[in-house]
Amino acid sequence: MSKFRKENKKGAPGVNTSSLPDIVFMLLFFFMVATTTKESDPTVEVKRPEGVSATDLTPYKQRSEIDFLYIGQPRNKARAADFKLGHALFLDNVAQPQPGELYSTNSIAQWKLDKMNQKPSNMNEPISNVITCIKADQGVPTILIFDIREALQNINALKIAYAVEDKSAI
Amino acid sequence: MAKRDIPEINAGSMADIAFLLLIFFLVTTTMEKDTAYIRYIPQKLEDVPPPPEIENRNIFEIKANSANQLMIRGEIIENPDDISERVLEFYRMNEKLTASQTQAYIQNSSYKGIDFPFYSRVTMQGIDDEINRNTDELERAEADDDENLITFYTKVLKDWDKKKAALKTLGGRELVEIHPQAHVRIVVQQQTEYKLFAKIHSEIQEALIELRDEAAQEYFDDTYSKMTKRLDQDKDDKKGDRKKVAALEVLFPERIIEVKPN
Repeated sequence: MSKFRKENKKGAPGVNTSSLPDIVFMLLFFFMVATTTKESDPTVEVKRPEGVSATDLTPYKQRSEIDFLYIGQPRNKARAADFKLGHALFLDNVAQPQPGELYSTNSIAQWKLDKMNQKPSNMNEPISNVITCIKADQGVPTILIFDIREALQNINALKIAYAVEDKSAI
Repeated sequence: MAKRDIPEINAGSMADIAFLLLIFFLVTTTMEKDTAYIRYIPQKLEDVPPPPEIENRNIFEIKANSANQLMIRGEIIENPDDISERVLEFYRMNEKLTASQTQAYIQNSSYKGIDFPFYSRVTMQGIDDEINRNTDELERAEADDDENLITFYTKVLKDWDKKKAALKTLGGRELVEIHPQAHVRIVVQQQTEYKLFAKIHSEIQEALIELRDEAAQEYFDDTYSKMTKRLDQDKDDKKGDRKKVAALEVLFPERIIEVKPN
């Protein structure tokens, strides 16, 4: 009799949670490996146009063979009038053009060359093979894209990519 | 009034709930990928030679004006989704003609495909002859120390080497190739929206992928899209996709000229 009573007195045994950290770390590592980080938050608004059959740029990002530049209306609406056709350029790691300096494609060449110098040493591609990805807003007038192209052509950075939101069925 | 113990809540199942949530979000989130159309800017030339005469049949011109209206080969198009079909037509119209048919039709103005690019066929012997001829030219240019000609013939030789590799990969006696000047030309105006510009690129890409997929099916029983995807993931190219992809790109080259608006 007493034997049984003794055992019933105990509550439910606690769940052994010592392996929980293992599982959490596994998830953490998965996300660490699977994510690529965004370079920076652009100060211009970019809503990408839609398209199909676009190339996935992830492999290029992993090999750092790509630089991103953004073009769209500035988030600070008051400054919109300072730029050519109301659209500003955003280059990461570069001081933004001052209102007096206006929109200028002159800064692209310097930015691209700076970017080339910052590449990891295992990236051996010449500048003509390093992609410049143009992330442009839907409403950007195409002349601005051609301005960018011309600036890149002058420094022989000949590979470009037009960013779109891929709508093809996966 | 005896002091009562407040029973502790069993939190053991909390982890289950948390994981359930976690897994739900894991499954439902899609990570946003950067996708784009990769294009090449032509190299800048110091002194531009006069552009060669190009027959109209080799130009697929897409025009877009400031009001975002489209025109393909002089014909107004309402729906931009039609571009890809027109590009396919441009490539396919004369593709299946035999050599003798090409000979006959190229002069015949009543033939329906007269306004589309014709294809030519080269044998391995023909490619070798071209390589030899251009190597001689290159040597002559090097002797004269003519910078422009050296660049030119180096590029021409590279193209022929690509064709040779393509014919080897594809097998068969002859390499069928579209007229070397056949190209897609995008003419926009200053105020044309980027949205439409991207749409044009999207349509061209769609058509090219379809052409290459179909050829891949015929030659390798595989698709171009799958091969390029595999190549991205596997730099060592264990399945030998690189050669095949290069061959398909020789068959259906991506020749796009984007004209700067003035």
